[in-house]
Amino acid sequence: MDRPSVVKTIVNALSEIMQREYSEVTEETRLFEDLHLDSTSVLTLLMALEDQTGIEVDPESLQMENFQTIGTLADYIEGNLDVSV
Amino acid sequence: MTTDYLRGIKKALTGDGSTPLVLVCNFEAEAFWAERYLGLPSVPFSASTRLVRRMEELGVLLGGPDDYLVVSEDVDPGFRRYAEDLGFALPTVLVPENVDPARSTTENALASPELLARLGGIDGVLLPMGTTVPEQKLAEETGLPLAVPGAEVFERVNSKIYGRRVAAAGGLRPVPGFECETTAEFLAVLDELEPLVAQGERVVVKDAYGVSGKGLVVLDAAVKVAGVRKLVTRRAARTGDDRLHVVVERWLPKRFDLNYQFTVGRDGAVAFDFVKQALTEDGVHKGHLVPAELPPHHHEELRRAADVIGARLHADGFSGVAGVDAILGADGVLYPLLEINARLNMSTYQGGVTERLLPPGHTALARHYTLRLDGRLPFDHVRATLGALLDERDGERVVVTCAGTVNANAADDAPFEGRLYAVLVAPDRSRLAALDAATQTALTTLESR
Repeated sequence: MDRPSVVKTIVNALSEIMQREYSEVTEETRLFEDLHLDSTSVLTLLMALEDQTGIEVDPESLQMENFQTIGTLADYIEGNLDVSV
Repeated sequence: MTTDYLRGIKKALTGDGSTPLVLVCNFEAEAFWAERYLGLPSVPFSASTRLVRRMEELGVLLGGPDDYLVVSEDVDPGFRRYAEDLGFALPTVLVPENVDPARSTTENALASPELLARLGGIDGVLLPMGTTVPEQKLAEETGLPLAVPGAEVFERVNSKIYGRRVAAAGGLRPVPGFECETTAEFLAVLDELEPLVAQGERVVVKDAYGVSGKGLVVLDAAVKVAGVRKLVTRRAARTGDDRLHVVVERWLPKRFDLNYQFTVGRDGAVAFDFVKQALTEDGVHKGHLVPAELPPHHHEELRRAADVIGARLHADGFSGVAGVDAILGADGVLYPLLEINARLNMSTYQGGVTERLLPPGHTALARHYTLRLDGRLPFDHVRATLGALLDERDGERVVVTCAGTVNANAADDAPFEGRLYAVLVAPDRSRLAALDAATQTALTTLESR
Protein backbone atom coordinates (compact mmCIF):
# COMPACT_ATOMS: atom_id res chain seq x y z
CA MET A 1 0.00 0.00 0.00
CA ASP A 2 1.61 3.28 -1.11
CA ARG A 3 1.31 6.62 0.68
CA PRO A 4 -1.55 8.06 -1.43
CA SER A 5 -3.54 4.83 -0.86
CA VAL A 6 -2.99 5.02 2.90
CA VAL A 7 -4.15 8.66 2.96
CA LYS A 8 -7.14 7.80 0.78
CA THR A 9 -8.06 4.92 3.11
CA ILE A 10 -7.93 7.27 6.13
CA VAL A 11 -10.03 9.95 4.43
CA ASN A 12 -12.62 7.39 3.30
CA ALA A 13 -12.84 5.92 6.81
CA LEU A 14 -13.23 9.43 8.28
CA SER A 15 -15.99 10.29 5.79
CA GLU A 16 -17.87 7.15 6.74
CA ILE A 17 -17.51 7.68 10.50
CA MET A 18 -18.21 11.40 10.57
CA GLN A 19 -20.84 11.01 7.82
CA ARG A 20 -19.67 13.87 5.69
CA GLU A 21 -17.61 14.38 2.57
CA TYR A 22 -14.05 15.65 2.96
CA SER A 23 -13.05 17.05 -0.40
CA GLU A 24 -10.58 19.69 0.81
CA VAL A 25 -8.56 17.83 3.43
CA THR A 26 -4.80 17.51 3.14
CA GLU A 27 -2.11 15.69 5.10
CA GLU A 28 -1.90 18.81 7.29
CA THR A 29 -5.58 18.67 8.30
CA ARG A 30 -5.84 18.20 12.08
CA LEU A 31 -8.06 15.36 13.29
CA PHE A 32 -9.36 16.85 16.55
CA GLU A 33 -9.28 20.58 15.91
CA ASP A 34 -10.27 20.68 12.23
CA LEU A 35 -12.40 17.55 11.79
CA HIS A 36 -13.77 17.46 15.35
CA LEU A 37 -12.91 13.83 15.92
CA ASP A 38 -13.52 12.78 19.53
CA SER A 39 -12.37 9.83 21.60
CA THR A 40 -15.41 7.81 20.54
CA SER A 41 -14.87 8.35 16.84
CA VAL A 42 -11.15 7.57 17.25
CA LEU A 43 -12.01 4.03 18.35
CA THR A 44 -14.37 3.52 15.43
CA LEU A 45 -11.72 4.95 13.08
CA LEU A 46 -9.14 2.49 14.41
CA MET A 47 -11.51 -0.43 13.92
CA ALA A 48 -12.17 0.68 10.32
CA LEU A 49 -8.44 1.11 9.59
CA GLU A 50 -7.63 -2.31 11.05
CA ASP A 51 -10.30 -3.82 8.84
CA GLN A 52 -9.12 -2.08 5.68
CA THR A 53 -5.34 -2.25 6.04
CA GLY A 54 -4.87 -5.47 7.99
CA ILE A 55 -2.73 -3.80 10.68
CA GLU A 56 -3.30 -4.45 14.38
CA VAL A 57 -3.37 -1.46 16.69
CA ASP A 58 -3.35 -1.47 20.46
CA PRO A 59 -5.30 1.75 21.12
CA GLU A 60 -3.85 2.14 24.60
CA SER A 61 -0.29 2.27 23.20
CA LEU A 62 -1.07 5.18 20.87
CA GLN A 63 0.40 8.61 21.42
CA MET A 64 -1.35 11.91 20.80
CA GLU A 65 1.39 12.67 18.23
CA ASN A 66 0.06 9.84 16.03
CA PHE A 67 -3.29 11.59 15.88
CA GLN A 68 -2.27 15.19 15.20
CA THR A 69 -3.03 15.23 11.49
CA ILE A 70 -4.03 12.94 8.64
CA GLY A 71 -0.33 12.90 7.72
CA THR A 72 0.92 11.76 11.15
CA LEU A 73 -1.73 9.03 11.21
CA ALA A 74 -0.59 7.93 7.74
CA ASP A 75 3.01 7.79 9.09
CA TYR A 76 1.85 5.58 11.93
CA ILE A 77 -0.04 3.20 9.65
CA GLU A 78 2.85 3.00 7.17
CA GLY A 79 5.18 2.17 10.06
CA ASN A 80 2.93 -0.68 11.15
CA LEU A 81 2.42 -1.94 7.60
CA ASP A 82 6.21 -2.32 7.35
CA VAL A 83 6.24 -4.38 10.54
CA SER A 84 3.57 -6.77 9.32
CA VAL A 85 5.39 -7.24 5.98
CA MET B 1 -28.40 37.90 47.25
CA THR B 2 -28.68 34.14 47.30
CA THR B 3 -31.29 32.62 44.96
CA ASP B 4 -34.15 30.50 46.33
CA TYR B 5 -32.74 27.68 44.24
CA LEU B 6 -29.39 27.73 46.02
CA ARG B 7 -31.04 28.22 49.40
CA GLY B 8 -33.06 25.06 48.72
CA ILE B 9 -29.90 23.07 47.98
CA LYS B 10 -28.22 24.38 51.16
CA LYS B 11 -31.28 23.55 53.25
CA ALA B 12 -31.53 20.00 51.87
CA LEU B 13 -27.83 19.25 52.31
CA THR B 14 -27.00 21.07 55.54
CA GLY B 15 -30.35 21.70 57.24
CA ASP B 16 -29.81 25.46 56.97
CA GLY B 17 -30.53 27.60 53.89
CA SER B 18 -27.81 30.09 54.82
CA THR B 19 -24.79 27.77 55.27
CA PRO B 20 -21.80 29.18 53.33
CA LEU B 21 -20.63 26.80 50.60
CA VAL B 22 -17.14 26.29 49.30
CA LEU B 23 -17.76 25.21 45.70
CA VAL B 24 -15.32 23.09 43.72
CA CYS B 25 -16.72 22.40 40.28
CA ASN B 26 -14.68 19.32 39.39
CA PHE B 27 -16.20 18.49 36.02
CA GLU B 28 -13.56 15.80 35.54
CA ALA B 29 -14.99 13.69 38.41
CA GLU B 30 -16.01 10.75 36.19
CA ALA B 31 -12.39 10.15 35.23
CA PHE B 32 -11.50 9.61 38.92
CA TRP B 33 -14.45 7.30 39.57
CA ALA B 34 -13.48 5.30 36.49
CA GLU B 35 -9.96 4.55 37.73
CA ARG B 36 -10.73 1.14 39.25
CA TYR B 37 -12.86 0.01 36.31
CA LEU B 38 -12.08 -1.08 32.81
CA GLY B 39 -14.10 0.23 29.88
CA LEU B 40 -13.68 -0.35 26.17
CA PRO B 41 -10.12 0.00 24.90
CA SER B 42 -9.54 3.66 24.22
CA VAL B 43 -6.81 6.00 23.16
CA PRO B 44 -4.98 7.47 26.16
CA PHE B 45 -5.59 11.10 25.28
CA SER B 46 -8.36 13.56 25.05
CA ALA B 47 -8.38 16.87 23.24
CA SER B 48 -10.48 18.68 25.78
CA THR B 49 -9.32 18.06 29.36
CA ARG B 50 -8.40 21.71 29.89
CA LEU B 51 -11.69 22.87 28.46
CA VAL B 52 -13.67 20.50 30.68
CA ARG B 53 -11.77 21.68 33.75
CA ARG B 54 -12.33 25.32 32.89
CA MET B 55 -16.08 24.73 32.99
CA GLU B 56 -15.57 25.19 36.73
CA GLU B 57 -16.26 28.87 36.13
CA LEU B 58 -19.96 27.96 35.75
CA GLY B 59 -19.91 28.02 39.56
CA VAL B 60 -19.66 31.83 39.48
CA LEU B 61 -23.39 32.17 38.76
CA LEU B 62 -24.44 29.40 41.17
CA GLY B 63 -22.72 30.68 44.30
CA GLY B 64 -24.06 33.63 46.27
CA PRO B 65 -22.24 36.40 48.14
CA ASP B 66 -21.80 34.21 51.25
CA ASP B 67 -20.17 31.42 49.24
CA TYR B 68 -16.70 30.68 47.90
CA LEU B 69 -15.60 29.27 44.56
CA VAL B 70 -12.18 27.64 44.14
CA VAL B 71 -10.89 27.86 40.56
CA SER B 72 -7.43 27.43 39.01
CA GLU B 73 -7.60 30.68 37.06
CA ASP B 74 -9.21 33.90 38.19
CA VAL B 75 -12.40 35.07 36.53
CA ASP B 76 -11.97 37.52 33.64
CA PRO B 77 -12.64 40.99 35.14
CA GLY B 78 -14.90 41.76 32.18
CA PHE B 79 -17.04 38.71 32.89
CA ARG B 80 -17.21 39.64 36.56
CA ARG B 81 -18.47 43.14 35.65
CA TYR B 82 -20.99 41.63 33.25
CA ALA B 83 -22.36 39.20 35.87
CA GLU B 84 -22.60 42.01 38.43
CA ASP B 85 -24.36 44.25 35.90
CA LEU B 86 -26.92 41.44 35.53
CA GLY B 87 -27.56 41.77 39.26
CA PHE B 88 -25.71 38.67 40.46
CA ALA B 89 -23.89 38.98 43.79
CA LEU B 90 -20.92 36.74 43.15
CA PRO B 91 -19.17 34.29 45.46
CA THR B 92 -15.65 35.04 46.69
CA VAL B 93 -13.29 33.55 44.11
CA LEU B 94 -10.22 31.79 45.54
CA VAL B 95 -7.28 30.77 43.34
CA PRO B 96 -4.64 28.32 44.63
CA GLU B 97 -1.19 29.93 44.79
CA ASN B 98 0.44 26.88 43.17
CA VAL B 99 -1.25 26.08 39.87
CA ASP B 100 0.00 23.42 37.49
CA PRO B 101 -2.17 23.20 34.34
CA ALA B 102 -1.70 19.42 34.30
CA ARG B 103 -3.49 19.09 37.64
CA SER B 104 -7.13 19.45 38.59
CA THR B 105 -8.18 22.44 40.68
CA THR B 106 -8.58 20.28 43.79
CA GLU B 107 -5.05 18.93 43.29
CA ASN B 108 -3.80 22.49 42.87
CA ALA B 109 -5.59 23.46 46.11
CA LEU B 110 -4.01 20.52 47.96
CA ALA B 111 -0.57 21.77 46.84
CA SER B 112 -1.24 25.33 48.08
CA PRO B 113 -0.70 25.81 51.84
CA GLU B 114 -1.91 29.44 51.85
CA LEU B 115 -5.21 28.50 50.22
CA LEU B 116 -5.61 25.49 52.54
CA ALA B 117 -5.19 27.80 55.54
CA ARG B 118 -7.73 30.26 54.11
CA LEU B 119 -10.25 27.47 53.48
CA GLY B 120 -9.66 26.10 56.96
CA GLY B 121 -10.81 29.42 58.39
CA ILE B 122 -14.18 29.37 56.63
CA ASP B 123 -17.23 28.45 58.69
CA GLY B 124 -18.98 26.53 55.92
CA VAL B 125 -19.13 23.23 54.06
CA LEU B 126 -17.43 21.89 50.95
CA LEU B 127 -19.70 21.16 47.98
CA PRO B 128 -17.83 19.57 45.08
CA MET B 129 -19.60 18.79 41.82
CA GLY B 130 -19.11 15.18 42.90
CA THR B 131 -16.80 13.79 45.57
CA THR B 132 -13.69 11.99 44.36
CA VAL B 133 -10.65 11.04 46.42
CA PRO B 134 -8.94 14.47 46.04
CA GLU B 135 -12.06 16.40 47.21
CA GLN B 136 -12.32 14.04 50.19
CA LYS B 137 -8.71 14.79 50.96
CA LEU B 138 -9.36 18.52 50.63
CA ALA B 139 -12.14 18.23 53.22
CA GLU B 140 -9.78 16.38 55.55
CA GLU B 141 -6.88 18.80 55.07
CA THR B 142 -8.99 21.93 55.61
CA GLY B 143 -11.38 20.60 58.23
CA LEU B 144 -14.29 21.73 56.01
CA PRO B 145 -17.09 19.16 56.33
CA LEU B 146 -18.34 17.71 53.03
CA ALA B 147 -21.95 18.70 52.24
CA VAL B 148 -22.35 15.38 50.45
CA PRO B 149 -21.06 11.82 51.01
CA GLY B 150 -17.52 10.63 50.33
CA ALA B 151 -15.85 9.34 47.18
CA GLU B 152 -16.75 5.70 47.72
CA VAL B 153 -20.51 6.39 47.67
CA PHE B 154 -20.24 8.67 44.62
CA GLU B 155 -18.22 6.08 42.75
CA ARG B 156 -20.76 3.35 43.46
CA VAL B 157 -23.92 5.23 42.47
CA ASN B 158 -22.54 6.86 39.33
CA SER B 159 -21.93 3.64 37.43
CA LYS B 160 -24.20 2.99 34.46
CA ILE B 161 -24.32 -0.62 35.66
CA TYR B 162 -25.76 0.61 38.97
CA GLY B 163 -28.31 2.75 37.08
CA ARG B 164 -29.62 -0.22 35.07
CA ARG B 165 -29.93 -2.29 38.24
CA VAL B 166 -31.84 0.50 40.01
CA ALA B 167 -34.28 0.65 37.08
CA ALA B 168 -34.83 -3.11 37.22
CA ALA B 169 -35.22 -3.28 41.01
CA GLY B 170 -37.46 -0.19 41.12
CA GLY B 171 -39.85 -1.39 38.41
CA LEU B 172 -38.92 1.50 36.07
CA ARG B 173 -39.35 0.70 32.38
CA PRO B 174 -35.88 -0.50 31.38
CA VAL B 175 -34.05 0.25 28.15
CA PRO B 176 -33.54 -3.24 26.67
CA GLY B 177 -29.96 -4.20 27.34
CA PHE B 178 -27.34 -5.86 29.50
CA GLU B 179 -24.75 -5.11 32.18
CA CYS B 180 -21.32 -6.69 31.75
CA GLU B 181 -18.45 -6.94 34.21
CA THR B 182 -16.18 -9.36 32.36
CA THR B 183 -14.98 -9.75 28.79
CA ALA B 184 -16.57 -13.21 28.67
CA GLU B 185 -19.98 -11.76 29.59
CA PHE B 186 -19.56 -9.04 26.97
CA LEU B 187 -18.63 -11.48 24.21
CA ALA B 188 -21.68 -13.61 25.05
CA VAL B 189 -23.88 -10.49 24.75
CA LEU B 190 -22.30 -9.64 21.38
CA ASP B 191 -23.05 -13.18 20.16
CA GLU B 192 -26.67 -12.67 21.12
CA LEU B 193 -26.97 -9.22 19.53
CA GLU B 194 -24.92 -9.73 16.36
CA PRO B 195 -27.85 -11.16 14.34
CA LEU B 196 -29.93 -8.11 15.29
CA VAL B 197 -27.18 -5.75 14.14
CA ALA B 198 -26.92 -7.69 10.88
CA GLN B 199 -30.67 -7.04 10.41
CA GLY B 200 -30.15 -3.28 10.78
CA GLU B 201 -30.67 -2.78 14.55
CA ARG B 202 -28.27 -0.40 16.30
CA VAL B 203 -26.64 -1.33 19.57
CA VAL B 204 -24.65 0.99 21.80
CA VAL B 205 -21.83 -0.05 24.15
CA LYS B 206 -21.12 2.41 26.97
CA ASP B 207 -18.37 2.41 29.56
CA ALA B 208 -19.79 2.15 33.08
CA TYR B 209 -18.13 5.49 33.86
CA GLY B 210 -18.07 7.15 30.45
CA VAL B 211 -18.76 10.88 30.41
CA SER B 212 -21.72 11.90 28.24
CA GLY B 213 -20.83 11.37 24.62
CA LYS B 214 -17.54 9.67 25.43
CA GLY B 215 -16.56 6.08 26.14
CA LEU B 216 -19.28 4.75 23.91
CA VAL B 217 -19.38 3.04 20.57
CA VAL B 218 -22.38 2.50 18.33
CA LEU B 219 -22.49 -0.87 16.60
CA ASP B 220 -24.54 -0.48 13.42
CA ALA B 221 -22.78 -2.96 11.14
CA ALA B 222 -21.47 -6.51 11.54
CA VAL B 223 -17.95 -5.26 10.79
CA LYS B 224 -18.08 -3.01 13.87
CA VAL B 225 -19.24 -5.90 16.07
CA ALA B 226 -16.28 -7.89 14.79
CA GLY B 227 -13.96 -4.91 15.37
CA VAL B 228 -14.94 -4.35 18.99
CA ARG B 229 -14.88 -8.10 19.68
CA LYS B 230 -11.33 -8.22 18.35
CA LEU B 231 -10.23 -5.21 20.41
CA VAL B 232 -11.50 -6.50 23.76
CA THR B 233 -10.34 -10.08 23.15
CA ARG B 234 -6.86 -8.90 22.22
CA ARG B 235 -6.57 -6.67 25.28
CA ALA B 236 -7.75 -9.39 27.67
CA ALA B 237 -5.24 -11.83 26.16
CA ARG B 238 -2.41 -9.32 26.39
CA THR B 239 -3.07 -8.11 29.94
CA GLY B 240 -4.55 -11.28 31.43
CA ASP B 241 -7.28 -9.02 32.86
CA ASP B 242 -10.78 -10.26 32.05
CA ARG B 243 -12.64 -7.30 33.61
CA LEU B 244 -14.82 -5.15 31.37
CA HIS B 245 -17.36 -2.78 32.89
CA VAL B 246 -19.86 -1.72 30.23
CA VAL B 247 -23.56 -1.65 29.51
CA VAL B 248 -24.87 -2.77 26.14
CA GLU B 249 -28.22 -1.34 25.04
CA ARG B 250 -30.55 -1.41 22.06
CA TRP B 251 -30.61 2.00 20.37
CA LEU B 252 -34.18 3.18 20.80
CA PRO B 253 -35.82 5.33 18.13
CA LYS B 254 -36.73 8.49 20.03
CA ARG B 255 -38.56 11.78 19.87
CA PHE B 256 -36.00 13.34 22.17
CA ASP B 257 -33.77 12.88 25.20
CA LEU B 258 -34.74 14.30 28.55
CA ASN B 259 -32.78 15.28 31.60
CA TYR B 260 -34.40 15.79 34.98
CA GLN B 261 -32.91 16.73 38.30
CA PHE B 262 -33.86 16.18 41.90
CA THR B 263 -32.19 16.74 45.25
CA VAL B 264 -31.94 14.04 47.89
CA GLY B 265 -31.81 15.63 51.33
CA ARG B 266 -29.75 14.28 54.22
CA ASP B 267 -33.06 13.10 55.68
CA GLY B 268 -33.93 11.23 52.48
CA ALA B 269 -36.57 13.71 51.30
CA VAL B 270 -36.60 13.91 47.50
CA ALA B 271 -37.34 17.31 45.93
CA PHE B 272 -37.99 17.33 42.17
CA ASP B 273 -36.13 20.31 40.64
CA PHE B 274 -36.92 20.41 36.90
CA VAL B 275 -36.99 18.54 33.61
CA LYS B 276 -35.28 19.68 30.41
CA GLN B 277 -35.54 18.50 26.83
CA ALA B 278 -32.44 17.84 24.76
CA LEU B 279 -32.23 19.74 21.50
CA THR B 280 -30.47 17.89 18.71
CA GLU B 281 -29.75 18.93 15.16
CA ASP B 282 -28.74 16.28 12.61
CA GLY B 283 -28.22 13.90 15.52
CA VAL B 284 -25.76 16.23 17.27
CA HIS B 285 -26.55 17.42 20.80
CA LYS B 286 -27.07 21.19 20.79
CA GLY B 287 -28.38 21.99 24.23
CA HIS B 288 -31.30 21.76 26.64
CA LEU B 289 -34.70 23.39 26.37
CA VAL B 290 -37.17 24.33 29.06
CA PRO B 291 -40.01 23.75 29.39
CA ALA B 292 -39.88 20.23 27.98
CA GLU B 293 -42.70 19.41 25.55
CA LEU B 294 -44.21 16.69 27.69
CA PRO B 295 -47.85 15.94 28.50
CA PRO B 296 -48.79 16.05 32.21
CA HIS B 297 -48.83 12.26 32.60
CA HIS B 298 -45.18 12.06 31.53
CA HIS B 299 -44.25 14.78 34.01
CA GLU B 300 -46.00 12.71 36.65
CA GLU B 301 -44.14 9.57 35.58
CA LEU B 302 -40.79 11.37 35.90
CA ARG B 303 -41.69 12.63 39.38
CA ARG B 304 -42.55 9.09 40.45
CA ALA B 305 -39.27 7.84 38.94
CA ALA B 306 -37.36 10.54 40.85
CA ASP B 307 -38.98 9.34 44.10
CA VAL B 308 -38.02 5.72 43.37
CA ILE B 309 -34.44 6.55 42.33
CA GLY B 310 -33.98 9.10 45.13
CA ALA B 311 -35.13 6.61 47.77
CA ARG B 312 -32.75 4.00 46.44
CA LEU B 313 -29.85 6.48 46.30
CA HIS B 314 -30.50 7.49 49.90
CA ALA B 315 -30.68 3.85 50.99
CA ASP B 316 -27.28 3.38 49.35
CA GLY B 317 -25.77 6.23 51.35
CA PHE B 318 -26.20 9.12 48.91
CA SER B 319 -27.50 12.61 49.48
CA GLY B 320 -27.10 15.52 47.12
CA VAL B 321 -28.14 16.70 43.68
CA ALA B 322 -28.76 14.03 41.04
CA GLY B 323 -29.55 14.31 37.34
CA VAL B 324 -31.11 11.49 35.37
CA ASP B 325 -31.16 11.04 31.59
CA ALA B 326 -34.38 9.66 30.14
CA ILE B 327 -35.79 9.06 26.66
CA LEU B 328 -39.16 9.70 25.10
CA GLY B 329 -39.40 6.97 22.48
CA ALA B 330 -40.65 7.60 18.94
CA ASP B 331 -43.77 5.64 19.93
CA GLY B 332 -44.47 8.03 22.83
CA VAL B 333 -43.28 5.56 25.48
CA LEU B 334 -41.20 7.09 28.25
CA TYR B 335 -38.03 5.36 29.46
CA PRO B 336 -37.47 7.22 32.74
CA LEU B 337 -33.95 5.99 33.57
CA LEU B 338 -31.22 5.80 30.98
CA GLU B 339 -28.45 6.81 33.35
CA ILE B 340 -28.00 8.46 36.74
CA ASN B 341 -25.56 11.31 37.21
CA ALA B 342 -25.58 11.59 40.99
CA ARG B 343 -23.66 14.87 41.14
CA LEU B 344 -24.24 18.48 40.24
CA ASN B 345 -25.19 18.70 36.56
CA MET B 346 -24.80 21.42 33.91
CA SER B 347 -28.42 22.35 34.66
CA THR B 348 -27.63 22.77 38.37
CA TYR B 349 -25.27 25.61 37.55
CA GLN B 350 -28.01 27.33 35.52
CA GLY B 351 -30.58 27.08 38.34
CA GLY B 352 -29.94 30.59 39.64
CA VAL B 353 -29.90 32.08 36.13
CA THR B 354 -33.28 30.62 35.17
CA GLU B 355 -34.79 31.60 38.53
CA ARG B 356 -33.77 35.22 38.10
CA LEU B 357 -33.90 35.78 34.35
CA LEU B 358 -36.47 33.38 32.87
CA PRO B 359 -39.89 35.07 33.10
CA PRO B 360 -42.90 32.78 33.71
CA GLY B 361 -44.31 31.31 30.51
CA HIS B 362 -41.08 31.95 28.59
CA THR B 363 -38.80 29.37 27.07
CA ALA B 364 -35.03 28.91 27.45
CA LEU B 365 -32.22 27.14 25.65
CA ALA B 366 -28.95 26.30 27.44
CA ARG B 367 -26.14 25.60 25.02
CA HIS B 368 -22.55 26.34 24.13
CA TYR B 369 -21.08 27.92 21.02
CA THR B 370 -17.81 26.57 19.70
CA LEU B 371 -15.35 29.23 18.61
CA ARG B 372 -12.19 28.79 16.54
CA LEU B 373 -9.86 31.52 17.67
CA ASP B 374 -6.48 32.93 16.71
CA GLY B 375 -5.68 34.32 20.15
CA ARG B 376 -7.00 34.99 23.65
CA LEU B 377 -10.32 36.77 23.61
CA PRO B 378 -11.08 39.07 26.56
CA PHE B 379 -14.71 38.87 27.68
CA ASP B 380 -15.23 42.61 27.06
CA HIS B 381 -14.67 41.88 23.37
CA VAL B 382 -17.29 39.09 23.43
CA ARG B 383 -19.67 41.41 25.27
CA ALA B 384 -19.20 44.19 22.73
CA THR B 385 -19.70 41.76 19.86
CA LEU B 386 -22.95 40.34 21.24
CA GLY B 387 -24.04 43.90 22.07
CA ALA B 388 -27.79 44.30 22.21
CA LEU B 389 -28.38 40.52 22.19
CA LEU B 390 -27.29 40.55 25.84
CA ASP B 391 -29.89 43.17 26.78
CA GLU B 392 -33.45 42.33 27.71
CA ARG B 393 -35.60 43.31 24.71
CA ASP B 394 -39.25 42.42 24.59
CA GLY B 395 -38.80 39.24 26.64
CA GLU B 396 -35.67 37.91 24.96
CA ARG B 397 -31.99 38.00 25.81
CA VAL B 398 -28.76 36.01 25.82
CA VAL B 399 -27.15 35.31 29.22
CA VAL B 400 -23.52 34.19 29.13
CA THR B 401 -22.93 31.60 31.87
CA CYS B 402 -19.26 30.71 31.38
CA ALA B 403 -16.57 32.66 29.58
CA GLY B 404 -13.41 31.01 30.95
CA THR B 405 -13.82 28.12 28.50
CA VAL B 406 -13.36 30.52 25.57
CA ASN B 407 -9.62 30.74 26.25
CA ALA B 408 -9.06 27.33 27.90
CA ASN B 409 -7.02 26.07 24.94
CA ALA B 410 -5.24 29.35 24.18
CA ALA B 411 -1.85 27.70 24.78
CA ASP B 412 -2.43 25.50 21.70
CA ASP B 413 -1.42 26.38 18.15
CA ALA B 414 -3.90 28.69 16.46
CA PRO B 415 -6.62 28.26 15.56
CA PHE B 416 -7.63 26.74 18.88
CA GLU B 417 -11.09 25.72 20.02
CA GLY B 418 -12.95 27.56 22.74
CA ARG B 419 -16.50 27.45 24.03
CA LEU B 420 -18.90 30.11 25.18
CA TYR B 421 -21.71 28.81 27.42
CA ALA B 422 -25.02 30.66 27.42
CA VAL B 423 -28.67 30.48 28.35
CA LEU B 424 -31.01 32.05 25.77
CA VAL B 425 -34.42 33.28 26.87
CA ALA B 426 -37.40 34.15 24.64
CA PRO B 427 -41.21 34.21 24.80
CA ASP B 428 -41.57 31.22 22.45
CA ARG B 429 -39.64 28.56 20.56
CA SER B 430 -39.54 30.34 17.22
CA ARG B 431 -38.09 33.52 18.71
CA LEU B 432 -35.67 31.36 20.67
CA ALA B 433 -34.46 29.78 17.42
CA ALA B 434 -34.06 33.23 15.83
CA LEU B 435 -32.09 34.47 18.84
CA ASP B 436 -29.87 31.40 18.66
CA ALA B 437 -29.17 32.05 14.97
CA ALA B 438 -28.42 35.73 15.61
CA THR B 439 -26.01 34.79 18.42
CA GLN B 440 -24.22 32.30 16.21
CA THR B 441 -23.89 34.89 13.44
CA ALA B 442 -22.51 37.53 15.81
CA LEU B 443 -19.97 35.13 17.33
CA THR B 444 -18.74 34.04 13.91
CA THR B 445 -17.21 37.51 13.47
CA LEU B 446 -14.84 36.72 16.36
CA GLU B 447 -13.47 33.60 14.72
CA SER B 448 -10.25 32.86 12.92
CA ARG B 449 -10.43 33.56 9.18
